[in-house]
Amino acid sequence: MNKVVTVNLNGNAYSLEEPAYDALRAYLDGADSRLQGNPDRAEIMSDLEQAIADKCRRHLGPHKSVVGSAEMERILAEMGPVEADTGGGAAAREEDRGPKPRPDAPRRLYQIREGAMISGVCNGLAAYLNLDATIVRIAFVVLTLLTGGIWILAYIIMMFVVPYADTSEERAAAHGQPFNAQELVDRAKQHYSELREQGSRWHDDWRQRQRARREKRAAAAEREFWRSERAHGDAGYATRLLAGLMVPVFTALSGALFVALMLAVLSLLVTGGILDWTLPADVPVWAAVLVLAIAYQALHVPLRAASRASYETTAGSRHGWLAAADGVLWIGFAALLFWLAYLFVPEVRSLFDDIRYDLGHLSFVRAGW
Amino acid sequence: MAIDEKFTSIRKGLLEFLILRIIAADKVYVADMLERLRATPFATQEGTLYPLLSKLRREELLDYEWQESDAGPPRKYYKLTAKGRSQLAELNRYWKQINVTVEELGQSA
Repeated sequence: MNKVVTVNLNGNAYSLEEPAYDALRAYLDGADSRLQGNPDRAEIMSDLEQAIADKCRRHLGPHKSVVGSAEMERILAEMGPVEADTGGGAAAREEDRGPKPRPDAPRRLYQIREGAMISGVCNGLAAYLNLDATIVRIAFVVLTLLTGGIWILAYIIMMFVVPYADTSEERAAAHGQPFNAQELVDRAKQHYSELREQGSRWHDDWRQRQRARREKRAAAAEREFWRSERAHGDAGYATRLLAGLMVPVFTALSGALFVALMLAVLSLLVTGGILDWTLPADVPVWAAVLVLAIAYQALHVPLRAASRASYETTAGSRHGWLAAADGVLWIGFAALLFWLAYLFVPEVRSLFDDIRYDLGHLSFVRAGW
Repeated sequence: MAIDEKFTSIRKGLLEFLILRIIAADKVYVADMLERLRATPFATQEGTLYPLLSKLRREELLDYEWQESDAGPPRKYYKLTAKGRSQLAELNRYWKQINVTVEELGQSA
């Protein structure tokens, strides 16, 4: 069962099913906005209403008194879109002469499998930068040699991070639009005419969206605030005290972890091993550094989360001051650890002495690679 | 590109001329005009025709009068003004000239 709406079409009363009414409303609103600025707008609107009324009557009979949505759709299709000015007006001709509007696809970085040498990173980058893939590949090789292998990391990271262009839309986006002046001009023109056409409607829409976004942001901020406050408020005194005590503990752990990473990396670079363990000859140094960095991240991320939770439990939503104080603490602690290690761990001491010696000869890094 | 698509702008440009011709030949209302054009390549719709007619009326090429109809509400019947008639005569001449030119250009010199 459908709700029925009674409308007055240029002085004639008609009963429409609700979806039919919505379609009619949309058609008339569209016509009205397109006729904006036309001195005969009111008259044309009433002509259109009359024509629709005539067509409605044709669909009604003694046993049918309501216009359904399918009939309204047919009626509106018969009416055709209302044109802004006139059938043969300047606007219509301009539209014919201009280039077909293209879907506006912003360029995106993808990996492209087709014609790839390894994974498609260089291929995708070449498409993105509008360069020949060979040039990009040579640049990668040269950069890798210049950086002693570190640049390979960039390739590996992009291999995992940059998505593949699998669909035709994505492949189009990978290449973006041809980059020449005429295209730019055409695009600007198209953009301008779209803007002009949409006019105030676009502006209203934009403002509405801005408002919605603002509200959403405010709501999110508020939720975050209450979540923090709850973590703060729900926790009993003892828990909060414990959390407060844990903050420097987490900080110390994080600092120690960092110091361990730095020492391990330095040791790898200078001595080619860590403590008694030496790097096998066939494993490059950069691979070992990468493994260390990943291990560090794996340990560091949960530590960070735990320390953040401690701040919130201790200080509620206003934990900024605590985080800042903690940052200072972290730096101090890491420096202290370095110093202590240098004083009391002979291996670390000899490591630093090696570095000092090698720095004097400016050769240690190259020897390490 | 289809022929149909190639001549879109020509058809649009000619519509005004054809409407003037239809109105000159007969006293018609909008449904009549649509009917006359329906089977031709110039078939059009109310959404296009009403704005066009209102423009032609603003240019004082045509006018309308209300006339009762036996089926339903009164209708607007359109007719040409004196200005409309003289412009149509001019357009007719111009159209013939275009036709001659098109024919001539197709023949070897």
